[in-house]
Amino acid sequence: MVNLAVEKELKIKNKLGLHARPAMLLVQAATQFQSDIKIVKGDIEVNAKSIMGVLILAAEKGSIVKVIADGPDENEAVDSIAKLFTDGFGED
Amino acid sequence: MEKLTVENFYKSRKSVFELTLFAGAGGLSKIIESREIQRPSMILMGWLKGFASDRIQVLGRTEMSYLQSLNREKMSEILDDLFKFDIPCMIVSKGIMPPPIMLEIADRKNIPLLSSKLATVDLMNKLATWLDVKFAPKVYVHGTMVDVYGVGMIYTGKSGIGKSECALDLVERGHRLIADDVIELRKQGDNVLIASGTNLLGHHMEIRGVGIIDIEKLFGVRAIRMQKRVELEVRLVMWEELPDYERIGIETKTNSFLGVEIPVVTIPVSSGKNLTAVSEVIAMNFMLKVYGENPAQTFVDRLNDEIRRKSKLQDYLKEDVE
Repeated sequence: MVNLAVEKELKIKNKLGLHARPAMLLVQAATQFQSDIKIVKGDIEVNAKSIMGVLILAAEKGSIVKVIADGPDENEAVDSIAKLFTDGFGED
Repeated sequence: MEKLTVENFYKSRKSVFELTLFAGAGGLSKIIESREIQRPSMILMGWLKGFASDRIQVLGRTEMSYLQSLNREKMSEILDDLFKFDIPCMIVSKGIMPPPIMLEIADRKNIPLLSSKLATVDLMNKLATWLDVKFAPKVYVHGTMVDVYGVGMIYTGKSGIGKSECALDLVERGHRLIADDVIELRKQGDNVLIASGTNLLGHHMEIRGVGIIDIEKLFGVRAIRMQKRVELEVRLVMWEELPDYERIGIETKTNSFLGVEIPVVTIPVSSGKNLTAVSEVIAMNFMLKVYGENPAQTFVDRLNDEIRRKSKLQDYLKEDVE
């Protein structure tokens, strides 16, 4: 049986984009899950559990990134990360 | 992949290729779709069939002197034929000034007409190399790339397993970091894989508990490299998660990146284990193999000889009944 990964497209809502603080929140959220989690923006794909990876995406307000999770808790992982995005990482 | 426009090409290669834009600036947003280069001599001779118009066209001295030998009417007729095609851009080599009529047509058709001061062969070579890099298949890998004794090693493994710390240790011992965390792999030719970092990343690295550090600032230029051929993958795994790892070293496992097979060495990680020393040994062992030495194989051969010798002796003694 093929176990498909869960993926979701998310939009950056907060004005400052995915800067250091939101990136840290994202990595903290991702690290709590066992699944492999990737963030894709354009042609760059990075590991969501690594701060450098998430930072170099330099995702600006309005840009779209894709979260891909694969593992035992993939659904929870994507939901938890999606929530951060919809809340604008607690910023304007 | 990001589209490559004539403008990107012109701006980034202007000084290296000694380019001047003469006409057709309206076509700078044209996209270069082909990695190949064309000399349009056959078109100039009137043979229009099978013309690869999606390529960059290079006109050398032969083509230009032929054009200049023609009368105005004939020249304009031929150039009209040539510029009828949707060409990305045209480059005249050797710093030859294109005739006014050519500039006029290029402007009218919005096809960028450039001139390069380089000799045709030089220009073609440099252009081909540059296009190869631009059109090379690319992939991003989560890992750390280090040059150990000149051997390009890419460390892979789960987040937090200690790839960055291992690289930091290696840098301290005089080896060189290419990039940490996000590695861009580019295929060059059929079987060469080149690793580099991204612009923003540079030689920064996150060390858990410390934060983001800059290897170049801390250790200087001797500690870094911009790119390196990937020769080995070192896969770090937790000791408990690894049921069987290589105990002798005669079998080589490989992993494929963009269709290039790279030998993999899987190393179980446990606290207190010196990954740096192991890394240096992996690199040196790789070099020995490249130079035709295979210590593991040599040892196994010696063992087999010994077993054979003993069993021969046994056989002899068995028959030796007096």
